[in-house]
Amino acid sequence: MLDTTTIPLAVLMFPGGLFALAFGLALKGLDRRVAARLQGRIGPPLAQPFFDLVKLARKRTMVPDIAAEPVFLGAPLIGTVSMLLAAALVPIPGVYAPNPMLGDLLVLLYLLAVPAVVLMIAGSASGSPFGAIGFSREMALMLAYEGPLVLVVAAVALRTGSFSLSDIIAYQQTHGAFLFDPVMWPALLAFLAFYPANLGIVPFDIPEAETEVLEGPLLEYSGPALGLFKMMSALKAVVVLGLGVALFFPSAPDGAAGLLVHLAKLVVMMLVGVTLLRVSMGRMRIDQAFSFFLRWPLALSLLSLAIVAAA
Amino acid sequence: MTLLQTLTDSARNLAVRSPWIYRINAGSCNGCDVECATTALIPRYDVERLGCQYCGSPRHADIVLITGPLTAHIKDDVLRVFAEIPDPKVTVAVGVCPISGGIFRESYAVHAQVDQYLPVDVNVPGCPPRPQAIIEGVAQAIAIWRQRI
Repeated sequence: MLDTTTIPLAVLMFPGGLFALAFGLALKGLDRRVAARLQGRIGPPLAQPFFDLVKLARKRTMVPDIAAEPVFLGAPLIGTVSMLLAAALVPIPGVYAPNPMLGDLLVLLYLLAVPAVVLMIAGSASGSPFGAIGFSREMALMLAYEGPLVLVVAAVALRTGSFSLSDIIAYQQTHGAFLFDPVMWPALLAFLAFYPANLGIVPFDIPEAETEVLEGPLLEYSGPALGLFKMMSALKAVVVLGLGVALFFPSAPDGAAGLLVHLAKLVVMMLVGVTLLRVSMGRMRIDQAFSFFLRWPLALSLLSLAIVAAA
Repeated sequence: MTLLQTLTDSARNLAVRSPWIYRINAGSCNGCDVECATTALIPRYDVERLGCQYCGSPRHADIVLITGPLTAHIKDDVLRVFAEIPDPKVTVAVGVCPISGGIFRESYAVHAQVDQYLPVDVNVPGCPPRPQAIIEGVAQAIAIWRQRI
């Protein structure tokens, strides 16, 4: 019988819940601040995403006449809850290992697909034509990037012989991190292409392109419902970056120092993979993004799987 | 002061630092729109440091900038879009056209003044107003918004 008493704490406080939310919002604030500096502006305060959330909590939520109200209001709730659960599934090397009762890497993969599905549902439930365009673009993009992600995870799992993130971390602590293992480099490159698309930033923010489809699925949302989507995306940043750390570079000391090292890795991944990318590129068209993902990341992850299977 | 009041006050102080701006072009000649875009988009004035963000959807908006004399053709659409902005909101009329019709006043095709139809909180006169004037108008709108949120 496994002990389940720590699960609510892990989901609601640390490392999921409040901790992940606060850190995700700080990452978003850092991203906006650094992007502004790179463009020669002063930029918003670091706590700006937090101010936005408080503001949204005090606004009215309006539901369009033609929207399907239960789905329209339920979608952001489902998305946020799925990300809260996912945040508790991501280990922090040396500090936190998820309870096996909560799930393993496969559960995490399914939970990671939920925000995109929720955005599709939200877009189509809102009844707005822009939401419908966002829906179709989100679906195309998701079909394109989910394949490489699954193959990357499969390559890592094949290499370590386990679908448990704790085992994957333990394997890398004895055999060296995959970041320095040439066999895993194709998978690493595929993951580096995957996470900007999953986080929905330029050049892959095609479903929510605010200058083309006015934030697509989020167009009709206001007040607390929109705030829930902002929370979902802040939590998703922590989950996806944390997954990357666990898959490729989990070396860290034990205790508080390990936590700091983990957070520093997330900050570096955010600044290099998100901020630098989004200020230096324009938005792709959906067909360009689709063929990009089906060409390079898919080929790299297949190659990685083949090498690992042969090695 | 009770705890609830204290919490509400601090939440208000935090919330007021995140005013999202939405522009409605009510038949403007685009002069004021260029100034609005200049004000926000160039690094020199950078209103994002005040927490402002231009949003594409009226549902996300807190502060509405209206330009133009409210032409007959666009009046119903403007009123409809304005109604879609969730409360609490603040309206800023940019340029002289929303105040009096400007060079288009007494035309059969315009409905100025705008405040006959919409509750205007701040007027920023000028043809077009300077970016500094628009920023000051937004700052006054934030002060008014603090009372409402």
